[in-house]
Amino acid sequence: MVLNGEAVKIGYGDYIAVENIDVSVKSGEITSIIGPNGSGKSTVLKALTRLLPYKKGYISLDGDDIKKIDSTKFARKIAVLPQKHDAPPDFKVKDLVGYGRMPYQKWYKSSGDEDEKVIEWAMKTTGVYDLKDKSINGCSGGEGQRVWIATVLAQEPEILFLDEPTTYLDISYQIDTMKLVKKLNRESGIGIVMVLHDICQALEISDRIIVIKDGKLYDEGKPEEVITSKMMKEVYDIDCDIIKLENREKPVIVYKEIV
Amino acid sequence: MLIKKDEKSKNKILKISGLYITLIGILILLILASLCVGSAGYSISEIIDVLFFGKEGFAKIVIFNLRLPRIVLAILIGASLSVAGALLQAVMRNPLADPGTIGVSAGAGTAATTILLIFPNMMNSLPIFAFGGALLTCALIYFMAWKQGIDPVRIILSGVAINSVLGAYNGLLQMLHSDNLSSILAFLNGSLSGRNWGHVKLALIYAIIGLTIAFACTKSANVLQLGDEMAKSLGFKVSRHRIILSAVSAFLAAATVTVAGMIGFVGLVVPHIARMIVGSDHKVLLPTSCLIGSIVLLAADTLGRTIIPGMEIPVGIVMAVTGGPFFLYLLRRSGKKCF
Repeated sequence: MVLNGEAVKIGYGDYIAVENIDVSVKSGEITSIIGPNGSGKSTVLKALTRLLPYKKGYISLDGDDIKKIDSTKFARKIAVLPQKHDAPPDFKVKDLVGYGRMPYQKWYKSSGDEDEKVIEWAMKTTGVYDLKDKSINGCSGGEGQRVWIATVLAQEPEILFLDEPTTYLDISYQIDTMKLVKKLNRESGIGIVMVLHDICQALEISDRIIVIKDGKLYDEGKPEEVITSKMMKEVYDIDCDIIKLENREKPVIVYKEIV
Repeated sequence: MLIKKDEKSKNKILKISGLYITLIGILILLILASLCVGSAGYSISEIIDVLFFGKEGFAKIVIFNLRLPRIVLAILIGASLSVAGALLQAVMRNPLADPGTIGVSAGAGTAATTILLIFPNMMNSLPIFAFGGALLTCALIYFMAWKQGIDPVRIILSGVAINSVLGAYNGLLQMLHSDNLSSILAFLNGSLSGRNWGHVKLALIYAIIGLTIAFACTKSANVLQLGDEMAKSLGFKVSRHRIILSAVSAFLAAATVTVAGMIGFVGLVVPHIARMIVGSDHKVLLPTSCLIGSIVLLAADTLGRTIIPGMEIPVGIVMAVTGGPFFLYLLRRSGKKCF
């Protein structure tokens, strides 16, 4: 499954955040979108997932205009965990994950056997099954994030979008979330598209990286080809060395000393 | 595992049915008490004689023609306003939303008073105009507060502003039509005094329509709690459901304004009490709000007509005087739990 954008222009009201961008993501691989604050990376994610209507250009899902796809059908293929999400504090984990089945249910129906199975699978895959009767505000930050990922996973999407899934989490939960993302991709073949701030994480986990600068596509490709000291200088205006270590597959980024 | 799950949901159902039965029991006791007390007091056996054995006489007039319609009306209005408040809170994602605080009731009241004073020959279509006024106010609030989605603070701010503008307009109407003041005041201070079975019939029709639609919308009210973007990403048509839920809420509020004027705080306080007892799932929250709302408004009206002998305090004033401080108490007690 391919989600493809051509010459897309996106903005809020009169403000244009992203202009004339070509971007494409597909199922089966992990794609990270990186770029400085305000570069428009979340905007691109929102346009691809229909959270934000785009102004010009064309976005298609396997050739069909995404504006013309029925919203429940779209939600069965494309799931997105927005940066901002919220739930009443007394909602139970199991009930919240159950909302992921919405695209498969009629509005008057509650969940059937098939739904229950998927909900259980989503909770087990993300490791929150033991929390199922807990309320949301009884979960820690890392647990909460996994519960939300379980919710969008219950949509059984072919491509899952995560908008800054590690922001606000401490490093152990960040690594935890990245491991989960990799597991989902490798075991279930779900395509993952993430907006990430941590370039080291993007480098480590992605199959492909998209770099956005000032609302324009700067570069895209394999992590090792895209993440270079030249890119870091031009996009983020920082000096760094990209070092290959012997016992690691992916290189690491070493920033210039702060003096 | 499966057995354990079944037991858990069975327990939950038992608990909720127990709560409903308790609330209905309280409501029945309150109805009996409300029939007994007043400027003329009656015993339970006299009431039973009148209601079930058709005993004629002065008691029948008081009980059947004066007190009973008023009681039924209080129940219907309490239920309608509470559900209207719960829906508005869901749809605006704001715990302070209530038809009274954000001007939806005032919109209905303004439309009603305008018709009453300026076009009195259109009296018969009063409910339609009240509904129109409420809807218009709702739309205006959204229009003012919309900025890339709903901002709960902007909703309340624009609601309060619109509420005070409408208040000023109502004040102006009062001054211009001081000869007809009593009919305006009936709308401004919600009251159930002198209501008859005709009012009950009207309120009943609107309450049945409004509450039925509201109960059918519990799932969308729940999904809206997850935030607009999350709801959208689940394939949920956020704007369409927001419009439907707001319209149902405006409809219920407008219906109550038409028969009883503006009664505040019910829609604000009752859903909070219900949420503390049963949580945020609208499937349970709406019926619980309905029952608690009926109890609260009937209690307030009974109190209003009996507390000072020979004088009636409008139920709107009783609600404001008791509801306000009670709401503050709830806020202090619940702390972070509710918001």
